[in-house]
Amino acid sequence: MDTWNILPQLLTSGITFGAIYALVGLGFVTIARASQIINFAQGEFVMLGGMITFFFLNKIHLPYPLAALLAVLIVVIIGFLLHLLVIYPLRKASLPILLMATLGASLFLSSASALFFGALPKALPPFSARTPFEIGNISVSPQSLWVLAAAFLTLFSLYLLSHRTLLGKAMEASSTDPLGADLSGISRNLMIFLAFGVSAGIGSVAGIFITPIFYVSYYSGTLIGLKGFIAAVLGGWGKHSGAILGGFALGVVESLSVAFIPSGYKDGVAFAILLLILYFRPKGILGSPFIDSRRW
Amino acid sequence: MFLSVEEIVKHYDGVMALNRISLQVRRGTVKGLMGPNGAGKSTLFHLISGMERPDSGRIFFKERDIAGLQTHEISRLGVGRTFQTLQIFGNMTVVENVLTGMHTRIRGGFLSSGLYLPRIKKREEIAMKEAKDILELFGLFGRWKWFASQLSYGEQRRLEIARGLAAKPDLLLLDEPAAGLTYPEAKQLAQTLSRLKEAGLTLFLIEHHMGMVMEIADEVAALNNGELLAEGPPDVVKKDPSVIEAYMVRK
Amino acid sequence: MVDQVHKEFRKRDLLYSGALWLLSLIIPDPQLHYRREYQFRKRDLIYFLTIIALPMIWSDPHFHHIMVLAGIHAILALGLTLFLGYAGQISLGQAAFFGIGAYTTAILTTRYGVPSFFAFWASALTASFFAYFIGRPILKLKGYFLALATLGFGEIFLVIVRESRGLTGGVIGIFDIPYFSLAGFIFDTYLKQYYLIWGVLMGLVLFSKNLIRSKMGRAFLAVAASEDGASAVGIDVSRIKIRVFVIGASFAGLAGSLFASVMSTANPETFSLNLSVLIVMMVILGGMGNLYGPIAGAIFLTYLIDGLSRYQEYSLPIYGVILILLLIFFPDGIGTRLRVRLIYLISYWGRKRRREKVEP
Repeated sequence: MDTWNILPQLLTSGITFGAIYALVGLGFVTIARASQIINFAQGEFVMLGGMITFFFLNKIHLPYPLAALLAVLIVVIIGFLLHLLVIYPLRKASLPILLMATLGASLFLSSASALFFGALPKALPPFSARTPFEIGNISVSPQSLWVLAAAFLTLFSLYLLSHRTLLGKAMEASSTDPLGADLSGISRNLMIFLAFGVSAGIGSVAGIFITPIFYVSYYSGTLIGLKGFIAAVLGGWGKHSGAILGGFALGVVESLSVAFIPSGYKDGVAFAILLLILYFRPKGILGSPFIDSRRW
Repeated sequence: MFLSVEEIVKHYDGVMALNRISLQVRRGTVKGLMGPNGAGKSTLFHLISGMERPDSGRIFFKERDIAGLQTHEISRLGVGRTFQTLQIFGNMTVVENVLTGMHTRIRGGFLSSGLYLPRIKKREEIAMKEAKDILELFGLFGRWKWFASQLSYGEQRRLEIARGLAAKPDLLLLDEPAAGLTYPEAKQLAQTLSRLKEAGLTLFLIEHHMGMVMEIADEVAALNNGELLAEGPPDVVKKDPSVIEAYMVRK
Repeated sequence: MVDQVHKEFRKRDLLYSGALWLLSLIIPDPQLHYRREYQFRKRDLIYFLTIIALPMIWSDPHFHHIMVLAGIHAILALGLTLFLGYAGQISLGQAAFFGIGAYTTAILTTRYGVPSFFAFWASALTASFFAYFIGRPILKLKGYFLALATLGFGEIFLVIVRESRGLTGGVIGIFDIPYFSLAGFIFDTYLKQYYLIWGVLMGLVLFSKNLIRSKMGRAFLAVAASEDGASAVGIDVSRIKIRVFVIGASFAGLAGSLFASVMSTANPETFSLNLSVLIVMMVILGGMGNLYGPIAGAIFLTYLIDGLSRYQEYSLPIYGVILILLLIFFPDGIGTRLRVRLIYLISYWGRKRRREKVEP
């Protein structure tokens, strides 16, 4: 009966995690929409956001907001560099090659990060009050609310970007109809370039918001990246709303599972969900514009 | 009845691709399938060859309902096909493409192949000889060692038909075999197809090359918007007013 | 005076050949397709003999050690090459089957006293088993999703191994796995292990080559080229995919068993995603559609990693960069480019010779 008591608490932490997965998933979707590429280095953007902020805050002693801003900028530049140095040279390569290249980039970024920033996990101070407040018998840390806010703000900004700005619409056009967009003068490579920047930005923001709650270390990127991808697939691969829904769904299920199975298996839950969803409904909960239902 | 399609219905996401189509192909004949683009011709082939399932209706081949069977099962029953978008195996040599066509006719499992037992070796040699003969028939013998991706477009089309033939089907579905061929190439193709018919093969072909269809087909069926407009001897269908209207209005 | 002219020539030669060499890296490969491996040629015999003779020429135990490891990687790469290089399907789970094989042997030999010969085959069977059950649902997927599903399987395997302390020793792993022994002969030195592993590899190469030149090999290639075309000629595409997957996994299981018998320990950190990535790199560098290429790739990458270990904490970032560079410059495998480059170099020197002959 004890299990039922801690469920609400688990639910809350699940929602917090869910928001992070949603943000990471959005990063994946942004790049995939522009280029059909899955960027396995996405998790590293998240990790670097937290890491670099920590560096500027504690080693260079910049004020917190400035450190965060600089970190986002630097990660965005890293995203651009990733495109220029890895993706663009391989633009005509086959799928396994691209896959390996992003995995290689992920390896490089995480190990280089261990080199520069050291192997110890780092934490950032929370944005506002440190003390959690109580709702009923659940304690919610204010940082969680910041995380939720970040998720929805990002979703909203992405929505504005793709539906209201010319640039965003160009990116959408490039993904739905590459040839047509190309003929209309939209450079596909430029769109992909920008998509990498946007994804890097989203990832780094997620990292900065989540590090005050959970530590960041050089290896945390890979796992978070994978889970974010699983979230995007779960919700409906290729849709922004899918990434959000999948993120929260994954976060909640994963957190709640701890009540029922030994905690060591927690990371396996996401992968089990992945296998289940790929087997039963690869399109995801909300359906996917990318997956041809005929042959599945 | 050799091939009999009965009341086939198929739609995709609400668009009706085939609306209660029924038609028949007699053994040893050449049947043409005509119609403007989007009429449902390739869809019908997908259904017959097992790549899609009809929403309702039945497809009989040699008195057996094959609707809903998988493609490779239907192929093993004796139905071969070629594709509108060329589907040759570019990563193999020309002769290997044909050899792959004979896949079901060469007996042997994983283990015996892996050990390359003498009987496997023998079967491979026999198959290789037959494959080269087939290539000879299509004028591709000289290129047998080339990679299939190195052939010209017309040669690749011929290769795909040769491969389809290698399986010794009783019915061959040809989806726009003359597409992209030059006039002399198409003429030669028509000759080859006639010879195949004389050898006893039943052909069902989708083709826009009006001249070729008229020349070799015994019977023609015309589709438009998923509906069967006319079915019968070529010159009769050609003059059918609804057929003429379909082509005029669309084109 | 004459000497000076000769020296000038030499410097310019180097510059030109160097530039040509670099250029050949970027210029597309002019129709140099792989020749299809129909029969066993003299070349195969030469390879086999070289493998046998190598450790006798080079008796440095460190060399033996590296080649033992390279041999195990080569078996892994061979299994994957059938799946990836021929049938065109991506798997990031090879390390998991490797681990399954290793743990099977470890558990059977340490806990139940099963002789290593039988544990060897049991490992292959266990890995095949898992491959069959995972393969049936997963292999319906294509491209990225298949890669992701195999990755997921690999991660789940790791989680389960880490948590099942009773069965697998958890994070610590299993120790004191006995050396491989056959009829009283114990393979306890690197040299003996070299012959064991490369002997197994050669047997597997024979088997694979036979598969490739039979209708099965053609079926693999057909599935990679066009699944529609393959099923149109009667090939049961899903059955073929499962078969290749299982074969690749069984090879990995054998490799795992050998690994356990050689290293005497099994722990989860070895069987990570990074290893799966490494094996895929070996196949890519060796060239898709190639049997010996991935083996050469295995030797190359094993040496590379060993060489990089000198740099301690810098080794991983450097490895990452090298990986990316290799992918950019050798997407079709190192072998292809080498041939192009050789031809460029030879024609350049040939032309230079002719020029020298004309000008007295």
